[in-house]
Amino acid sequence: MTILEIQGLHKSYGNHTEVLRGINLQIEQGEFVGIIGPSGAGKSTLLRCINRLIDPSSGAIMIPRALAGLGADGAKADVLSLGAHELRLLRRKVGMVFQQFNIVKRLSVIENVLSGGLGYRPGLRSMLRIFSREEKRQALTNLKRVGLLDHAYKRADQLSGGEQQRVAIARTLMQEPAIILADEPVSSLDPKLSRVVLDILKRVCREDGITALVSLHTLELTREYADRVIGLRQGQVFFDGPTPNLTDAIVDSVYHRRD
Amino acid sequence: MERTAGGTGGLGKFAKQAYWGCTLARESGRKVVDDIFLEAPPAPKRGARFFVFLGLFLLLLFWSFQGAKVRPGELIQGIPQIASTLGRMLPPDFSKMTDAKSYYFPENLSLTALLLPVPLSESQARSKQRWWNNTFPQTILGATLETVQMALAGTFLALFVAFPLGFLAARNTTPHPLVYHALRTVLNFLRTIPDLALGLVFVSAVGLGAFAGTLALAIHTATVLGKLLSESVENIDEGIVEAIRATGAGYAQILSFAVLPQILPDLISFTLYRLETNIRAASVLGLIGAGGIGYLMSTSFRTFQYQEAAAIVIVLIALVMLVDSLSSRLRNLVV
Repeated sequence: MTILEIQGLHKSYGNHTEVLRGINLQIEQGEFVGIIGPSGAGKSTLLRCINRLIDPSSGAIMIPRALAGLGADGAKADVLSLGAHELRLLRRKVGMVFQQFNIVKRLSVIENVLSGGLGYRPGLRSMLRIFSREEKRQALTNLKRVGLLDHAYKRADQLSGGEQQRVAIARTLMQEPAIILADEPVSSLDPKLSRVVLDILKRVCREDGITALVSLHTLELTREYADRVIGLRQGQVFFDGPTPNLTDAIVDSVYHRRD
Repeated sequence: MERTAGGTGGLGKFAKQAYWGCTLARESGRKVVDDIFLEAPPAPKRGARFFVFLGLFLLLLFWSFQGAKVRPGELIQGIPQIASTLGRMLPPDFSKMTDAKSYYFPENLSLTALLLPVPLSESQARSKQRWWNNTFPQTILGATLETVQMALAGTFLALFVAFPLGFLAARNTTPHPLVYHALRTVLNFLRTIPDLALGLVFVSAVGLGAFAGTLALAIHTATVLGKLLSESVENIDEGIVEAIRATGAGYAQILSFAVLPQILPDLISFTLYRLETNIRAASVLGLIGAGGIGYLMSTSFRTFQYQEAAAIVIVLIALVMLVDSLSSRLRNLVV
């Protein structure tokens, strides 16, 4: 089943800098997709357009309406035309993992994980950081899945970088996501920790049938983890295919810059 | 040396630097120091503009000293005068610590009835209220407590107003740019009004006493705290806001989870700092009859009761020091 269909996606800032120049992609459910490309190729922008943390200039991003809880009739919806409320419903089902982890360092680990469920629990109670026993149970379960149950009540800034990223993954799992967007999730970690984090990410995605779009900064990791690779160059898709098809020649031209 | 010679105008300084570089290299027997200066891009020149600014700054300083009529001679001549005033303040007279001119202890009340909230008859309640409102604040102890109460109440009221203002008047969390600009303008305008001026306004509105002073403190502090908090909100790590937004959280939830934890240390230390400042401000507000220990102090000075004034000053210093150390301890505890 196609979970994400991107058609002619453009994004430009002002009149001059065009970051995305007509992206067309079709992502199937359950795929673990690696996105590669030189800095400035548009990897982060593409990922942020999907949950509209960045508003694209033109194009369409089609998702099953059911994904955003907008009905189960199999019809499609365009992310670009969702209203504020529908957008929040969609964001609940699209988890995001960041290069800088972006967890709240002054809150405890479990509070960080609980914050992943905010989209499901609007209202005063969650604003005051009051959570039910059931919510806490779910958070602890997710922490156990990333191997950090023992650290649940520590302050997040006491954890190492790799552990903080695992907290971020647990936070994402609270969303019960259908898609996870990971923007260079291991770029600030050493190779060993990178593998620990990617192992966990890939395992939870497989277990829960989550589709993952992961931008990665090294080919080695991409070849090791991705089922399918998308190569971006200057805002366009330059390569799209199963990982074994990614030859050295293609890699060279993806990273070849004409400046 | 080509690069130096080719430089425009900055020949003097750079040539000198290169020259010293050469000497150093010769003395240490290594050519390396010299070479690296020639290879490196020319250092940015400070040159003429720096000296123009320095000159202007010195002129400004000179002008200010003249305008402020700083004359060290008169100060030196005045030293004996200071000494004699200080002499008249000794020894400090603490007799008014718990005593006032029209002081009386209400006869129909026991000490417990006076201090604790116990049920009282109507006349008892009236004399209790009179004692707390009129008699007790005329003693140094009473006026000191009133000062502390004014500062605490004023700061709390200010925080109550400034907390939402901080979010509304920050560029990144304001609901609309118009709200941001309007609030910033109002805050900037109100902040320029000194709290003494606000005190005068409120004395004429609600009459002499601590309430006028508390309102003045609250308004002034709210504008200062609002501004400081909004700047703190603008300095947060936006990545965390992005992460919480990506979970599908709404505006209030983003504030609560992504913004508030990040500004909390600032929030606490700004508030404690303003509390310290307000203790001082509350003791000055008494000069215009807006409550607090300042009224007693000015009365003592104006009636040449220097020994009594000295006692008040000492109590005030002790109070400020106490609040400073308490608040810094509190800050360390929570931040």
